[in-house]
Amino acid sequence: MELFELTAASLSQKLRKKECSAVEITRSVLGQITKKEEQIGSFVTVCEEQALEKAQQVDKKLATGEPLSPLAGIPIGVKDNICTKDVLTTCASKMLHNFVPPYNATVVEKLHMADAVLIGKCNMDEFAMGSSCENSYFKKTKNPWNPDCVPGGSSGGSAACVSAGEAVLALGSDTGGSIRLPAAYCGVVGLKPTYGSVSRYGLVAFASSLDQIGPLGRSVEDVANLYSIICGCDPMDATSASREYGDFAKELDRSVKGMRIGIPEEYFGDGVEPQVKQAVMVAVDLLVKEGAQTVPVSLPSTDYALSAYYIISSAEASSNLARFDGVKYGYRAEGYQNLMELYEKTRSEGFGDEVKRRIMLGTFVLSSGFYDAYYKRAKQMQQKIAQEYDEAFSRCDIIVTPTSPSPAFKIGERTNDPLKMYAADICTVTVNIAGLPAISVPCGAAQDKMPIGLQMIGPKFSEQTLFNAAGCFENLCGGFGVAPAMKG
Amino acid sequence: MQIDIQHIAKLSRLFIEEEKVEKFQKEMQSIVAMCEKLPPMDGEYTAVDPSNPMRLRQDLVKPSLNREQLLQNAPQTQAGCVVVPKVVE
Repeated sequence: MELFELTAASLSQKLRKKECSAVEITRSVLGQITKKEEQIGSFVTVCEEQALEKAQQVDKKLATGEPLSPLAGIPIGVKDNICTKDVLTTCASKMLHNFVPPYNATVVEKLHMADAVLIGKCNMDEFAMGSSCENSYFKKTKNPWNPDCVPGGSSGGSAACVSAGEAVLALGSDTGGSIRLPAAYCGVVGLKPTYGSVSRYGLVAFASSLDQIGPLGRSVEDVANLYSIICGCDPMDATSASREYGDFAKELDRSVKGMRIGIPEEYFGDGVEPQVKQAVMVAVDLLVKEGAQTVPVSLPSTDYALSAYYIISSAEASSNLARFDGVKYGYRAEGYQNLMELYEKTRSEGFGDEVKRRIMLGTFVLSSGFYDAYYKRAKQMQQKIAQEYDEAFSRCDIIVTPTSPSPAFKIGERTNDPLKMYAADICTVTVNIAGLPAISVPCGAAQDKMPIGLQMIGPKFSEQTLFNAAGCFENLCGGFGVAPAMKG
Repeated sequence: MQIDIQHIAKLSRLFIEEEKVEKFQKEMQSIVAMCEKLPPMDGEYTAVDPSNPMRLRQDLVKPSLNREQLLQNAPQTQAGCVVVPKVVE
């Protein structure tokens, strides 16, 4: 196996045993990028020079016997809506095509402290709005399992680079499923952490009450390791939860003995493809054989989740994206007569259609006369959905559902029908609405050989339980890896 | 429901080209129709999670980014300020 195909855990071991150097690891991943990037298109920016420089520093530390973090020398892709000092951060938008942040997001600062290697900035749907990565201003990322299919979105580049061996780990962001959906479509592991457990300082805001940064990787242990590094209270983020966190990878016991798994009937209805339901239930049966038990639970308001999600997220987006006006940073149109024209021209030329749709939907639901019928109802529904989860978790430890109703669809298949595109998120949005953690792990293949994703949802701050259950399943199915066509 | 796209666009500081109005109108209507599925409900909602209330920091003067760094991304600057069209007569 080539170095780029290995997990962070085994690479870290190799480093310590001096079986390879950090520079060799980075070169192996850069080599894979040279070979595959033209076909896959995971990155907006590849940071070759900085990456090699960082890897050299790690090798120096190794030589002097300095203690190293488990992520030292590990090449990591970072979604392009997370600010990286002196490295282009575009949100895959014309609006920020030239934006070079003067500071690092807290998570990026933590990666640097852990001596991780920033290998590149990952492509995404513009401003994280989308489920297919087709809304990027720059390029369409392809699914490494089949380049005719989408990688999922919005963190499509993050999932694709991990699946293609163009990075060992990646950071994404998840507002309604944007880590879990691409993780499922690309056959990798992705965690949407509990709201408030990872600092959002330096994440370009989409819907602030739902956004959360999280890790993607090719093994549960790697994802647990990256989560351990990025989580924690941050005074720079007022919504950051004040609590202590353990080392999730060290505590990984991969046991589901006595675990009660809730199965919500609402997530196994007609809208979900039979092959997806079957793959998820086969996985559940395996967990039961390991000592778990299943419990039927009910989340009756699931049908209303997409409506509530699009109202709340668009309302917040319309407010958050008001800052892009051609004055302080990013794109500025030419040929304006006055300030109003400067705003309108800049925003009309700088934003793509999906972003415009969401800004207008948000403006509409917040406008006078409509607030009560839309926004207020959506916020009430949010509370109801959270209560239903609370009730369900009084009878089970985790809830298992499909991550998406279907495997990855073809590029272009849903671009003309926003509602059909939004339906891809039906199984994931309630988790953000309730602020819960959830992990997506690969659970088999569809008839067309595309990966299927299984979602495990837990109560707030139950990430360790999710890692244990996901880790148990990972052992049972023999682990995951880079997509077959991407192997060295 | 009929949605006045040009009015909403104006409020959003966006301009929608004439040939795209119909497409946006149709799509927005179908999205709003989906959103209208929400039933009326009783009870208030709280914006803040009681188990994790927000802690606002003190407004203290501390070292921060300098003016040059803050202006490095501005499309047009002059003498350490951003340049915008004249807004007062």
